[in-house]
Amino acid sequence: MPSIIQYFPVNLSAIQSQHLALAVTGYSVVFLSFFLLALLFSVIPKILFWNVRRTFDNEGDETKKALAGNTIPGEVSAAIGMAISLYLDELHDQETAILTIRKVGKSYSPWNSKIYNVINFKGFQG
Amino acid sequence: MDGLVQFFGYSGFANATPGHLLMILVGMVFIYLAIRYEYQPILLVPIGFGILIGNTPFIEHGGMALGIYQDGSVLNYLYQGVLKGIFPPLIFLGIGAMTDFSPLISNPKLILLGGAAQLGIFMTYLGAISLGFTNPESASIGIIGGADGPTAIFLSSRLAPHLVGSIAIAAYTYMALVPLIQPPIMRLLTTQKERRIKMKPPRSVSKIEKVIFPVFGLLLTGFIAPGSLPLLGMLFLGNLLKESMVTKRLADTAKNAMIDIVTIILGVTIGASTQATTFLTHSSALIFVLGATAFMFSTAGGILFAKFMNLFLSGENKINPLIGAAGVAAVPESARVVQLEGLKADPDNHLLMHAMAPNVAGIIGSAVAAGIMMSFLL
Repeated sequence: MPSIIQYFPVNLSAIQSQHLALAVTGYSVVFLSFFLLALLFSVIPKILFWNVRRTFDNEGDETKKALAGNTIPGEVSAAIGMAISLYLDELHDQETAILTIRKVGKSYSPWNSKIYNVINFKGFQG
Repeated sequence: MDGLVQFFGYSGFANATPGHLLMILVGMVFIYLAIRYEYQPILLVPIGFGILIGNTPFIEHGGMALGIYQDGSVLNYLYQGVLKGIFPPLIFLGIGAMTDFSPLISNPKLILLGGAAQLGIFMTYLGAISLGFTNPESASIGIIGGADGPTAIFLSSRLAPHLVGSIAIAAYTYMALVPLIQPPIMRLLTTQKERRIKMKPPRSVSKIEKVIFPVFGLLLTGFIAPGSLPLLGMLFLGNLLKESMVTKRLADTAKNAMIDIVTIILGVTIGASTQATTFLTHSSALIFVLGATAFMFSTAGGILFAKFMNLFLSGENKINPLIGAAGVAAVPESARVVQLEGLKADPDNHLLMHAMAPNVAGIIGSAVAAGIMMSFLL
């Protein structure tokens, strides 16, 4: 009965310093690039809203200042969106209450041109 | 009579081997998993059917150019898109056009989890070396841990084209099996209390931030790992098409028609590349074992790093370590698994949006890792 080792001949001595260097460097570089990306996108909102915030600072409007900081939680945005949606849903036009059934015509295609002509001819007749 | 004998000699019945029948069974299992359990059906149905196409037996030296490895066959022409690394960037363009990076932009520190979850790539690389694979082969096998099919195909087509089929099948199989592989590791590495951590809702993200992200994201990652440019260039281009709001038609094409066409061709050819005569080898078995290991290490890497980050975070800024598991790039499957595991611990704790941040970061992370591997080994 062959042992599992025969199928998976692990040889740890095959791992040399160059392999370790690649693994460690590679993992570190992935982290580095992500760290820089995280840093960048932590700073960008502050830069983007700095000018607006300063304007509101001068005006002393605390509410607007908070808005300018773009710190509205997603839940609040969702609640505002839902309220607007519900409000707009109530603004119905007057319904005509007339139901119509319109036959949907097939769009033309070279692959159904023959049947297209037949159908249209019948329609014309009817 | 001779004609009949010759006809029979060309038929699948005369040329079938146990290997063909085994692979046909595997193809059927893929199709079953996709249809019955909806495990990544968009990928598993074309791949499963491709396995059936590739393993329907025929005379390989009968003068008919049929097989995917035979010059001049139609399948071989389609397979060039895989071998030359054409399809993966096109898929990335579509992924970019359908990905919303807002969860990541709103909480940038979560991107680090996507980096931590690439642990499996580099651990498996070392594991493959210890099992006797060459350096380029090991890197190609390791990238399975990124849980990103197109990246795995792209890197292996550059470094070890003879292993593309095995690596792609292993990557997509384990991506489909994420709901089975990840939960035990998540439960093993976290306490009930940690799984109940509620994270504060992400803030809303402005349009300008969404537009800036692909531009700066590309420049930053591209400068660090230029090898990832074919993938990340297309990913971020697709995202810019979506977020700029002025190229709606292009974004729609990229995320619908184009990615669908490429996915079908990619799936079928990858499936067909598992022709029993070339696929059923000892190396393929080892790749499958290493692929599973890679997924486990990646999941563990993300979770453990989230726990590590919690050491420095306080109060409402604490991270639910479950979302670290979503750092593997299986989008959105692993984020969905996180959501389900979170709900099991606390039915009011919805982690999906938080998990999407490391999940989309994982796509970028695996592509960066692939770029680094290429810089070292090409």
